[in-house]
Amino acid sequence: MDEILTLGIESSCDETSAAVLRGGREVLSNIISTQIPVHQKFGGVVPEIASRKHIVNIMPVIDEALRKAGVTKADIGQVAVTYGPGLVGALLVGVSAAKALAFALDVPLLGVNHLEGHIFANFLQDKSLEPPFLALVVSGGHTALVDVADYDTFRLLGQTRDDAAGEAFDKIARVMGLPYPGGPEIDRLAKEGDPLAIDFPRALDKAGSSEFSFSGLKSAVLAYLNSEKMKGHEIHKANVAASFQHSVVEVLVHKAFDAAEQAERKTLVLAGGVASNSNLESRLMEEARKRGIRFQYPGRILCTDNAAMIACRGYYQARAGHFSDAYLNAVPGLSLGV
Amino acid sequence: MSILAIETATQVSSVAVLTDGKLAAELTMQAKLTHSETLMAHVEQAMKMAGTKREEAEAIAVSIGPGSFTGLRIGLAAAKAMSYVWEVPLLGVPTLEVLAQHFWSTDAAIFPLIDAQKGNAYVQPFSARAGRLRSEGPIAVKSLSEILEEAGEEQGPVVLLGDMLRKIEGKLTLPANVHIAPLHLRMPRAANVAVLGAARLAAGEQDNVMDLEPLYIRRSEAEVLWEKRHGEGKA
Repeated sequence: MDEILTLGIESSCDETSAAVLRGGREVLSNIISTQIPVHQKFGGVVPEIASRKHIVNIMPVIDEALRKAGVTKADIGQVAVTYGPGLVGALLVGVSAAKALAFALDVPLLGVNHLEGHIFANFLQDKSLEPPFLALVVSGGHTALVDVADYDTFRLLGQTRDDAAGEAFDKIARVMGLPYPGGPEIDRLAKEGDPLAIDFPRALDKAGSSEFSFSGLKSAVLAYLNSEKMKGHEIHKANVAASFQHSVVEVLVHKAFDAAEQAERKTLVLAGGVASNSNLESRLMEEARKRGIRFQYPGRILCTDNAAMIACRGYYQARAGHFSDAYLNAVPGLSLGV
Repeated sequence: MSILAIETATQVSSVAVLTDGKLAAELTMQAKLTHSETLMAHVEQAMKMAGTKREEAEAIAVSIGPGSFTGLRIGLAAAKAMSYVWEVPLLGVPTLEVLAQHFWSTDAAIFPLIDAQKGNAYVQPFSARAGRLRSEGPIAVKSLSEILEEAGEEQGPVVLLGDMLRKIEGKLTLPANVHIAPLHLRMPRAANVAVLGAARLAAGEQDNVMDLEPLYIRRSEAEVLWEKRHGEGKA
């Protein structure tokens, strides 16, 4: 079991990815084919176009993952695939390919929750990491605090009531005319701005609550941009980006550490696409030092949607005997934890 | 040796195993289950019941469209994966031809119609005289009234089939020479995919497992809208 090769497959949004993992933590390959340039002109991911790209990319990505890992098809011991949450048409390409691969190879199949995969990226980043810990999941579609008691027990402490943090980043970036995807653009721009220049609200920033809400903040920023435009003022984009990002980050930081302390967890991990936000990383690190909590986040590649994290989650599911059957379907609205 | 055939272009989910000139198994359903749920379970069952082992597969034939975009991708992703693992040829077969194959010998003109949404159908006329199926034109997207008008202008009888019939039957008055196929010859089936795939295999043809795409015919709506807004394609 400890040397088993897991083939991971991920196609939930706009990256097609395949990876080979040895045991639970050793990444032999992690191939990611991104569609960002394809969707750029539309200002966001177009589901049908994403699905069309996945069906073209899926086999070359799998083939490259095996070649780069230096293994043959027959060496694969199990297949893990993201079955949700995500875009249904996109998910179905990976799920259909994975089911057929598992059948053709006559090996077990593991349907993996994409968000659990993001959390498990941390096991690949730090091979000594063990549960329990608290996870802050921040991605384009999700913002959640999850208590990870062990490899198979996740308790959802709170999530966003409306927009995910990543959605707010993308929307504001679009209104300010920044290219897609907006998150990294705001992060870059914010470095040149003053985070205290504009006092945007920090919605639901009450002690004790692990729920998030970013739609109020998003509306406040949009209203600010609109009123400045009406007044004929030139918009200081760097200051807007810095102040907006500051509001989001402070809420995330405080809630994450408060929840960790409440749950009496000594470790906090960051997970999801927005985990690559440099300001969020540095503020969490600073706060962790202050509070004496161990903090960890995945490297750049492991933050994005990738199949290595899916293979890792699949490996631990297999260890617990949680396999999928030939009826596995895509579940676009799959939720996290219990 | 066996050809495994897959048909998921419409609501019909169908799997067939063609072994040494014998149609060993066919599982065809049109229920409310999604292709994603049924396809691989049916492949497993059909192969098991036909007594076909994995290493006995000699080719994978798959209906490649036009049809439901998502359905086509489910079938093609599965077909590619099996073709890749078993290292056997992948054979794409056009879905309108799969339908026309039901009427392999007839004096009637064959008009297979696959739902293309908004009252339109993917259509391609076929003839099948003396057991030779032949396309009589390219695949087109046409409105129902346009198709019925063309069918009415044909000299001889015309047979209509395909999933578009659900939207016609009992709702329109058909021209006197136009007939609707009976239920058992109306929808695409994997046995037809297997037969057409076998013919391609015998002719030494195969598709590339790395980059075969469904026959969409239509672009995504987002692309069409974008080009309208940005004025491309006007010249």
